[in-house]
Amino acid sequence: MSEIINFKNVSYEYRSGENFHRGVIGLNFSIQEGEFIAILGHNGSGKSTLSKLINGFLKATFGEVNVLGINPSDDRRIYELRSQVGMVFQNPDNQMVATMIEDDLAFGPENLGIPREEITERIDWALDIVDMKEYKNKMPNKLSGGQKQRIAIAAILSMRPKILILDESTAMLDPKGRKEVMATIKKLNKEQGLTVILITHYMDEAVEADRVFVLNQGVITVEGTPAEVFKEVRKVRDAGLELPIPSQVCIELISKGYDIPFVLTDEDLVDALIEQKQRKSKQKPGFKFK
Amino acid sequence: MSIKVKNLSYVYSPKTPYEHKALEGITFTIEEGETVGIIGSTGSGKSTLVQHFNALIKLQEGELMVNGFDLAAKKINYKALRRDIGMLFQYPEYQLFEDTVAKDVAFGPKNFGFKKEEIDFLVKEALTLVGLDYDEVKDKSPFELSGGEKRRVAIAGVIASRPKVLVLDEPTAGLDPVGKREILELIHNLKNTYVKTVIMISHNMDEIAEFTDRVIVLNERYLIHSTTPEKLFSDQNSLNGTGLRYPHVVRIQNLLKEKGVDIELEKMTVDSLIDEIENKILK
Repeated sequence: MSEIINFKNVSYEYRSGENFHRGVIGLNFSIQEGEFIAILGHNGSGKSTLSKLINGFLKATFGEVNVLGINPSDDRRIYELRSQVGMVFQNPDNQMVATMIEDDLAFGPENLGIPREEITERIDWALDIVDMKEYKNKMPNKLSGGQKQRIAIAAILSMRPKILILDESTAMLDPKGRKEVMATIKKLNKEQGLTVILITHYMDEAVEADRVFVLNQGVITVEGTPAEVFKEVRKVRDAGLELPIPSQVCIELISKGYDIPFVLTDEDLVDALIEQKQRKSKQKPGFKFK
Repeated sequence: MSIKVKNLSYVYSPKTPYEHKALEGITFTIEEGETVGIIGSTGSGKSTLVQHFNALIKLQEGELMVNGFDLAAKKINYKALRRDIGMLFQYPEYQLFEDTVAKDVAFGPKNFGFKKEEIDFLVKEALTLVGLDYDEVKDKSPFELSGGEKRRVAIAGVIASRPKVLVLDEPTAGLDPVGKREILELIHNLKNTYVKTVIMISHNMDEIAEFTDRVIVLNERYLIHSTTPEKLFSDQNSLNGTGLRYPHVVRIQNLLKEKGVDIELEKMTVDSLIDEIENKILK
């Protein structure tokens, strides 16, 4: 694996009216090719600012950003960069440009000057990955939210980016749509080796990532695997976040003195409890494990 | 009783090539004082249904009584109906439009014909109820506020006219976890005031389980359940084919059951689950 994104002491400041705001402050991190990163934080914590610094929508006020060897502040290479960094936003309706799904997917590669035959190939490939092949000649307005969002992802894929950024892309979806989109994201990451950066308010989604960054008031306060991050209960709560529900149960039980491991999922919690029950039944009767 | 629906059906663009049946044969009653959740996948008819309650969508077929108003009648006092039934749409912060928070909240009461002194009082009351400091925010532009604060202002705008029934379409969508919890608690506390009945659409089963007395499940235009969250979620087949999932506490309960450990949840909350795990497994 090689490094694909590097932030060195990156800050971003902006003015709105008389007020002076700091979007993000002193960010330092490195993301490897093929990683799946989740970014968590309260509304206004700087999550979107961070993602926009990656593809040059915003330019760092201080510090150095390096994405695929390109400095996003370098206007000469901005289009090269953006063809490699795809973004999917919250509302898929805002991201659809054509009346036919096939045309919608062609828009990106056409703008990159890709030859016609290759565009057709890419469209078929992208629709296949998001499992929407049979919708190629349909209109996007008849689709469900989850389907629309998968088309929006396919439209980005047709540009063959190296990095996919999803900015709360599941926030408007129903449970089924969220599940579909998450499955697609994981497939892209695991099978296509795409580097994924997922900005989300759903702790359940962050649990699926390789690494989690927690942003609080523009600063990364915790960083690590999901298990490492959610163990930092206080920092997570200070950042305006909650633990995944199985972890909440777990932490509460641990604080009551029970000896169970820290878990992130319903399945792991149940396994841990069953193991504890079996261990207890081997002990002599009347003994209370506390 | 607050709302009575009998055999309600609704078709979009009837007698055109775009004809689309949104609701069919819906029958249920909501009593005054209840907090009712409405769940279902996108396109199941949830929003179409709730927009009937204050006549944003005109009744096509069936019977509908809302807070004493007969919506099948020829003449309906829409103003009085809409004052009684407050409605908050998805992402309501995008509807804020005035240059100050106080003016924005006053828009509803002003249009419902309240007097100047009354309006000032109602605006102050509503902003206080949603947990904002009246003096601090009244002259601010709504656009200076954070996402969570904007949503509170939008809620204040709806409750400022003192509705008896509050209908909320995905009130927590897009908020961070703390923002979500604050809004849910705020809605819960509103029931100690003039708001008697709360109806809320949500995709979050965990919040439905914790905050509602009863759940109405819509699936592809039909009502398939109208029952307590306890009964709905304890039936392992109740959500088949709906694309919905069970709340975490219930999934944990079911997984334990598969492994031969039966636990009973008094309430569908994390606290209740922890108590049961302690009593049945760890002690």
